[in-house]
Amino acid sequence: MDIAVLVKASLDVNMIKADSEGRILLDSIPLAISEYDRNAVAEAVRIKGELGGRVVAFSVLTWGPADKRAKEIENVMREALALGADEAHVVVDDAILPSDVSVTAETLSNLIKKTGDFGLILAGEGSMDMMSAQLPVRIAYKLGYPVATFARKIDVINGAVKVTRDLEDVLQVVELPLPAVVSVTGEINQPRLPTLLQIRKSFAKPYKAYTISEIGMDTPEKLFPFDDIKLVTVSRKNMIIEGENLEEIAEKLIDKLIEEGVVRV
Amino acid sequence: MKALVIGNKTSHLVDGLGFIQALSSETGVSIEAYGLLYGGGAEETKGFTKIFSMPEASPEAVANTVSKLIEKMTLEMVIAPAEKNGTEILSRVASVYDMPMITEVSGISKAGENTYLERAIMGGRATALYRFKTPMAVTVPAKKFKASESGATPEFEELQVIDGVTKVVEVLPKEKGAVDLEAADVIVGVGRGFKAKDDLAMAFELAELLDGEVGCSRPVAADFKWLGEDRWIGISGKKIRGKLYIAVGISGAPQHIMAASDTKVIVAVNKDKNAPIFTFSDYGVVADLYQFLPVFIKKLKEKKGV
Ligand SMILES: Cc1cc2nc3c(=O)[nH]c(=O)nc-3n(C[C@H](O)[C@H](O)[C@H](O)COP(=O)(O)OP(=O)(O)OC[C@H]3O[C@@H](n4cnc5c(N)ncnc54)[C@H](O)[C@@H]3O)c2cc1C
Repeated sequence: MDIAVLVKASLDVNMIKADSEGRILLDSIPLAISEYDRNAVAEAVRIKGELGGRVVAFSVLTWGPADKRAKEIENVMREALALGADEAHVVVDDAILPSDVSVTAETLSNLIKKTGDFGLILAGEGSMDMMSAQLPVRIAYKLGYPVATFARKIDVINGAVKVTRDLEDVLQVVELPLPAVVSVTGEINQPRLPTLLQIRKSFAKPYKAYTISEIGMDTPEKLFPFDDIKLVTVSRKNMIIEGENLEEIAEKLIDKLIEEGVVRV
Repeated sequence: MKALVIGNKTSHLVDGLGFIQALSSETGVSIEAYGLLYGGGAEETKGFTKIFSMPEASPEAVANTVSKLIEKMTLEMVIAPAEKNGTEILSRVASVYDMPMITEVSGISKAGENTYLERAIMGGRATALYRFKTPMAVTVPAKKFKASESGATPEFEELQVIDGVTKVVEVLPKEKGAVDLEAADVIVGVGRGFKAKDDLAMAFELAELLDGEVGCSRPVAADFKWLGEDRWIGISGKKIRGKLYIAVGISGAPQHIMAASDTKVIVAVNKDKNAPIFTFSDYGVVADLYQFLPVFIKKLKEKKGV
């Protein structure tokens, strides 16, 4: 059984850049593999180990500009390949940038349909940058497949998949017929860092980038693009307590906390 | 305009009603509220015209049932709790009707003629604004929008479940923690800077001295399982809003620290002077926690005379 895994080249939220007026400089924030997508790749590789088949990673570039980002999304996909995916297919096209969830879902489902037949499509529960947690479901409906979200455990058995969903108060186990889409949580596994050898091998694996017309799409209309993005400002005192030794530092800190009225002695 | 609020608890209906009231007062559009409870039974919630009920079912079956209702009643908005089930159900409904969906709305604002729905993105470091238009699906966090429950008593109607291919085969309990971080005044947060579970004893001792609780970063709860999920602070865990947060051996990833942004004073203890946590804190101590915590605890005890 072949498995598709969806991987996002997400804005690296640890590297947010803004100008002096607090406007976020989206184009200068580097892209990185979205954290939970690493779990999805690792899970796909685990299932492949049990059942055989190929693991194919898919992505659509959602942040522009395309020429600058083309290399970055390739690096992200090389990481997925180093984690064990067998090949990678991506769409890089300025016509959809910046993309919204509806256009990303439309593009990804077309890309998947064009590439092959997959018994299982895995994705992270949500992306690191936008966190809207609705893409896996939208893709499933576009493909006409059943879907389950927030999986903490996946068992594939005789043409069906048993998914343990990690809900706030309970674990809900659901069963769906294949082919199906499943989104995974960060707790489903602990992906290992790829070894140097795996990283080197990833460069020999197939990687293909398409434009939307190459996958048979016209420029789609965005259903709900964001109108603005604002930086959340944090204003803290940022005072580093210094001293001759740790005793002095501890005393100064305690005095500060008493002064602030947050510690009573 | 008609809006449907879905949920499996009465509080979900109240949260959704609060959002509707806030939106209505921002836009000046009057919105008629309908409710749908899946499982949990229908209690009286004033402010709704009608409350539908259906037995507990898979997210797919709930979504099918809601989708049918939308078609029958020409509903223009659907609102669900910003929880995992609510998110899946609403994503399904939004997919059926190709509707915009705003996940976990955090605020409503106005600029000129337009009303915008806001939500946190980028691990909480930024807010995205989406122009409000209908039809639209929205998930709403608990207690974010206060509702006034007044008006007529709703009618009730039971709905037939429209099943799908998803079978719920089992529901297992999850270990429940007893710690309520959201209500704690003082929290000592522990992160991957701790090398072993036993070392957390220092943090517990410090928390006890300060009449506080111990919280943690995601890896400590999710990967190491040293502490329960009830102590997990962050956008996917608990939001904290006490007087003092002392983050020890925590790097300051936005997904963690932004959930502490309503805390009055934040202290960071980290051996790396370039750790991002220092930009999010009021007071910083650059030191090895294994050396600093024992001294800090000793000095606190001296000051307190214990
Ligand atoms: C979508 C998404 C959601 C997430 N949600 C959450 C969430 O809700 N909550 C959360 O916490 N995380 C969340 N994360 C994960 C988050 O990005 C970070 O990976 C995590 O918070 C890091 O935890 P940490 O600070 O304990 O570990 P690290 O980042 O590894 O930091 C450890 C720190 O300890 C310091 N240190 C090491 N040894 C010592 C010592 N002896 N003395 C002093 N300091 C020392 C190091 O300098 C370092 O700064 C989420 C991630 C994603 C992508």
